[in-house]
Amino acid sequence: MEKKEKIGVYVCHCGTNIAGVVNVAEVSKWAGENLKDLGVVISRDYKFMCSSLGQELIQKDIKEQGLTRVVVAACSPHLHEPTFRTACKGAGLNPYLCELVSIREQDSWVHTDKVAATEKAKAIIAGGVSRVVHNEPLTPLMVPIHPATLIVGGGIAGIQAALEIADSGTPVYLVEREPSIGGHMAQFDKTFPTLDCSACILTPKMVQVGNHPNITLMTYSVVEKVDGFVGNFVATIRKHARGIKEADCTGCGICWEKCPKKVMDNVFEAGMGNRKAVYVPFPQAVPKYPVIDRVNCTYYIKGTCKACEKFCPTNAIDFAQEDEVLNVQVGNIILATGYDIFDAHRMTQYGYGRLANVYTSLEFERMSNAAGPTGGNIVMRDGKTVPKVVGIVHCVGSRDKNYNEYCSAICCMQSLKFAHLVHERTGAEVYNFYIDIRTPAKGYEEFYHRLLDEGTHFIRGKVAEISDAVRLPGEEGKLIMQVEDTLTGNQLRVPVDMAILSVGLEPRADSKALAKTFGISCSADGWFIERHPKLDPVATMTEGVYIAGCVQGPKDIPASVVQGAAAAARIMGKIQQKEISLEPIRATVNADTCSGCRICNNMCPFNAISFHEDTMVSEVNPALCQGCGTCVAACPAGAISGTGFSNIQILSQIDGLLLLTLDKKKEAVVA
Amino acid sequence: MTDTITFGQEISNLLYASEGEPLRTCIQCGTCSGTCPVAGYMDHTPRQIIAMINQNMKEQVLESNTFWYCASCYYCTVRCPQEINITELMYALKRYSIWKGHYQEGLIGPIFSEAFVKMIVSGGRSFEPVLAPSYIFSFSLREFIQEISGATELMLKGRLPILPARIERLDSFKRMIGRIIPMGGLE
Amino acid sequence: MKEYAYFPGCSLEKMASSYHQSAMETTKKLGIKLKELEDWNCCGATTYFFIDELLAYTLCARNLAIAEKTGLDVVAPCSACYKNMYFTAAHLKKDPDLAEHVNFALEEDNLHFNGNVNIKHLIEVFANDISTEEIQSKVSRPLEGIRVAPYYGCQIVRPQKEKENVEQPQFFEKILSAIGATPVNYPLKMRCCGGSLILSSRTAALSMVRNLLQCAVDSQATVIATACPMCQVNLEVYQQQVNLEFGTNFSFPVMYFTQLIGLAFGIKPKKLGIGKEFVSFAPSLLPVLQE
Repeated sequence: MEKKEKIGVYVCHCGTNIAGVVNVAEVSKWAGENLKDLGVVISRDYKFMCSSLGQELIQKDIKEQGLTRVVVAACSPHLHEPTFRTACKGAGLNPYLCELVSIREQDSWVHTDKVAATEKAKAIIAGGVSRVVHNEPLTPLMVPIHPATLIVGGGIAGIQAALEIADSGTPVYLVEREPSIGGHMAQFDKTFPTLDCSACILTPKMVQVGNHPNITLMTYSVVEKVDGFVGNFVATIRKHARGIKEADCTGCGICWEKCPKKVMDNVFEAGMGNRKAVYVPFPQAVPKYPVIDRVNCTYYIKGTCKACEKFCPTNAIDFAQEDEVLNVQVGNIILATGYDIFDAHRMTQYGYGRLANVYTSLEFERMSNAAGPTGGNIVMRDGKTVPKVVGIVHCVGSRDKNYNEYCSAICCMQSLKFAHLVHERTGAEVYNFYIDIRTPAKGYEEFYHRLLDEGTHFIRGKVAEISDAVRLPGEEGKLIMQVEDTLTGNQLRVPVDMAILSVGLEPRADSKALAKTFGISCSADGWFIERHPKLDPVATMTEGVYIAGCVQGPKDIPASVVQGAAAAARIMGKIQQKEISLEPIRATVNADTCSGCRICNNMCPFNAISFHEDTMVSEVNPALCQGCGTCVAACPAGAISGTGFSNIQILSQIDGLLLLTLDKKKEAVVA
Repeated sequence: MTDTITFGQEISNLLYASEGEPLRTCIQCGTCSGTCPVAGYMDHTPRQIIAMINQNMKEQVLESNTFWYCASCYYCTVRCPQEINITELMYALKRYSIWKGHYQEGLIGPIFSEAFVKMIVSGGRSFEPVLAPSYIFSFSLREFIQEISGATELMLKGRLPILPARIERLDSFKRMIGRIIPMGGLE
Repeated sequence: MKEYAYFPGCSLEKMASSYHQSAMETTKKLGIKLKELEDWNCCGATTYFFIDELLAYTLCARNLAIAEKTGLDVVAPCSACYKNMYFTAAHLKKDPDLAEHVNFALEEDNLHFNGNVNIKHLIEVFANDISTEEIQSKVSRPLEGIRVAPYYGCQIVRPQKEKENVEQPQFFEKILSAIGATPVNYPLKMRCCGGSLILSSRTAALSMVRNLLQCAVDSQATVIATACPMCQVNLEVYQQQVNLEFGTNFSFPVMYFTQLIGLAFGIKPKKLGIGKEFVSFAPSLLPVLQE
């Protein structure tokens, strides 16, 4: 005969949120009288259970009445479950012996029939009480935190995070797949709204990263595999062979000067210029070591040339160099891999790729950059003609159900910036074609006013097509931008020399594969999913993995920096704690009943289940397990049980919910 | 709960079964009007018409020539970023306009359409000469003469039908149409 | 022997009889049989849909029901007929309610539509159902040096059938290349010709035709190839009107693509309906027309 539990039931009014529909006093009285058999010894109702006074009510009863279980009927557990569990803990009761049942989101907020709602509230509480009897006291899992951090992606967000964590005194591994860090920001000319030179504000940080004693910089490298769990990850990193001995290389540049093989640079120069087969992507590259592009290098194709080796003064070229694969142990990971731009070829009505003088935003940035392929001169594809009229198209591939439904956040400001640069460098007439002008942040609206002042022609209308089919005199040799000026209602044909498409931002092409490697999720658009869009934008649902920058969604440089810093702060907090506690709501495999079928192994979305070959049973790693319940449902032998969601707990709750039905019908449930 | 239905709702209902987003999702970007090959001849652009419908400006919409100038080339529909079926809207406005007998004076479109459908209902096949009266009298003398000379040339080249073509099962065809009319077809 | 149910459409009787003739000749040469649908009625062009949707669907569905009985795929040479029948079939398949109403009416003619019919445009037969090699094998007189502007028009490519990108199709160019002609880059190849606006809004339609002709001249084409009788009539028959209205001087031949294919196959011009056009092809096609 088991000892009966002593259960306290607390029904919240939540002001009028619950009490306006549910007769709380009646429910509380009913629980006290009718659930005695299940163990209820006290039942109270109160206006705001989550307030200090409300919590103290519970604590007082635990101490004075010796309560062994608590059921709170109030709002959704998403909101106040931690509140009440902490209150119980404060009074000396194991927090997992407290259950919160929702009679608000699940009852008073969704029904208008007061009588029915009150009856439903009684059933919900009966369910909670029946369940809580079977709750076991649980202790959170304590997991040590390795002090090292892995940051994937060396753009501005990754750089910011790396510097902050490294400055705090713990080691950082910064992995970047290009030969240099810097990301997209290194490609830009000026940044809005201050018109700071992008490289000038970025390169000091890059140099700091390169010199920092706590940062191990691994460029031209990728993360191949990640094992482990929060506080204890093991990342397998492949450092692609540069073909350069870093210990000997001085970065003098003779190798790329002498290299005879020119290659179209589709990455850094966005296809606007060339590089050599041995190269650094840009002069301020960090690290300074070049890289030999084995796909295009003559030596690897034909076995001849070797000009770089001949001329290198320090004998730093090593054609036989191989990739290096190494494992690093880290406690936390930040993903800051950035974005790709929308492929403008897809909007064939704009003629990108077909009509010579149609450019993407990135191509224009390279053109405008003083270190770029045209030396900072804004010229047409022939390399010399300065345009007299330039048209800038907003919202290319964004805000469009045919391509990407979202707004890419930065293109309006970017388009205004381009307009300014064109004014400044060429004195050309500039037309901006927009649907809305989105300039929300500090100094942005003022920047728009500056452009208005400069005489930019703003036409409110999304460009329908760009064509070279001449119709009227004066259009010969021009690109015609056909658009409706929606503010006047006229269809216009605007002849321009050069068209710049402000293309939208998209997730990286390999983002889904990357998400899988790190065990996190992507949204339908492909951006990585944050734990909470409002209150937790840098954490993910996977403990220990954080996201920062455009990888979480389109944003400007200040926002990326903020997210990098935020992720860094979170991690530094964890490192300082030295160990963290994890929710004990986990799945466990009963080794005796496990048949070794391994169905659960592949079902786990968090790769938390491993198989022991020697004992032929599966085991759940409690640190990786997020308690989703998939394996519990999938196991054909019923050998997996969810702590805190055991079969008996769930079935009892269902029985409790049906208690009223049973009472009324006086029928037994068919087994 | 309102008893009366607004003009905007009426038009939305007409488009209910079409595969496209509702008119109220229009962000007024102007892509449709920028694309439309006939926009220059319309008194209101397609985008303006949508704005007017959303504002329940029934009189002005029905009095406009916009939808009568639509050639249903569908370019607006394939480019619309909100995936609204604008061409279908133009068809719906034509039907609504004829149903209510309310359209701009002097437009050939409505009279032409009715003549066309009467022609089909009577024979099952098209016969161009019977349509001429619906548009030819709005022409200036010069245009009228051009039209006659053009028709003559077509006839000489054997490209104009002299006698109307008819389908064989015309009786059952007419009865078939008769079954539609009680369901809300034309008079 | 490929067989299709052939829906000529009202225009092909007289106005576009050369299209009909050349279609029959070229398909025969390729071993394709086009069996005319029995007792078909007008598809409604665009005009039916101005009056009543249900009536329009019913009148179209009558043809579909007749076609269904043959068990063959339907081929329509006219873009408007094609578009109407394709989408009527698609809507009836998706909407059982609509199908019920329509079938109730079709009963009067002892017809019933079950949704089992495929609709193709005639040009799709040449582009997809016949291989390029097969077309090339029948070419005895390749149209060397003939610069053709491939005029798709609007209703072959739009509205979208699936979510395909309809901005730059190339199938027409492919066919023209297969018969040895040079397809030119024709920027307005998918611009509307005005359709029935030529009657109801003449000036607007004439301006659209004018742009198309001017663009063909600018693209240095010598002939425009079309795949729709409305397009051919608007572009060719009304060229005089365009000249009078805008003071231009166009004298541009506009042919059906089947006529071009027929000439490349070595079929006699008269059999392809050549001689009925307003603007003679002779100057541009002299090299090919010589026996």
